[in-house]
Amino acid sequence: MVIVYRLLLYLYPPAHRSEFGEEMLAVFRALQAEISKESVLMRGQFCTREIKGLLGGALWEHVRTFAEVDRPPLFFSRRLTMRSEFRFPKTTISLMMIILAAVVLVIEKATAIQASVPYSNPHVGPIQSAHFTFLPTMLVILGGACLAGAIGWAILFALHRSGIHRLAEFDPASHRGSGGRLSF
Amino acid sequence: MDSLSITEPVLLILLSLAEQPRHGYAILQDVQEMSDGRVVLSTGTLYGALRRLLDEAWIERVEEEDAPRGRQSYRLTAKGRRNLQLEVSRLKHLTRVATLRVARKET
Repeated sequence: MVIVYRLLLYLYPPAHRSEFGEEMLAVFRALQAEISKESVLMRGQFCTREIKGLLGGALWEHVRTFAEVDRPPLFFSRRLTMRSEFRFPKTTISLMMIILAAVVLVIEKATAIQASVPYSNPHVGPIQSAHFTFLPTMLVILGGACLAGAIGWAILFALHRSGIHRLAEFDPASHRGSGGRLSF
Repeated sequence: MDSLSITEPVLLILLSLAEQPRHGYAILQDVQEMSDGRVVLSTGTLYGALRRLLDEAWIERVEEEDAPRGRQSYRLTAKGRRNLQLEVSRLKHLTRVATLRVARKET
């Protein structure tokens, strides 16, 4: 069982494993020594509990590492934590999901339109690429990108996470001792 | 109170450390004893909670000179004790309200 436990520990992120791995194994060994005197049923329950705990714990540690969150599935309830070093922003996940959903919807809609226009109809033929010119298309894409950026920035501004509020409150005098580095 | 959510296992871990510094195995034993065997934590659950508590600085590691390999003790910080007291006050209030309501219903 110790071998299984040791193998399951590899499911944890390396940082967690190096910090707590040996300790967890030592505690597990002590618990196993104690439970070995108990009935088969108790030992079975112990093994199940430990495996379940490790699988759940490893999964959660990976989720936490990826999304930088501190409690189970409340991904979008916690405000962003602005730090001086680069972190993957939590809101990016939600924004990416929204964009993905929009792209899927557009594809679905386009497929439906394409299916509704029969190719044999001489009056309404398939859309010709010649109908579009390069420059207007690029302008539309650029405009869309600017609009999306503005909306994203507005959301961050509303959440007081655009950086403006922090810069406004920043007092250089209180950060003189920090070696020139800004720490938020 | 800080952002950490206090679930029952976390509360029991904090209560265990409120008395004295303890290492992982002792915490597990104490939690089981405190809850009359109702709450039995796995090592995965325990160390997940300990990591969160360390991150939030509610607990800290204690240096032990003659500790065996792989054994590490933890104790409450001032912040952890303050938050635990707040949680206990909240529970006291809740218990008082619950007692009154149940009594009112029975009469």
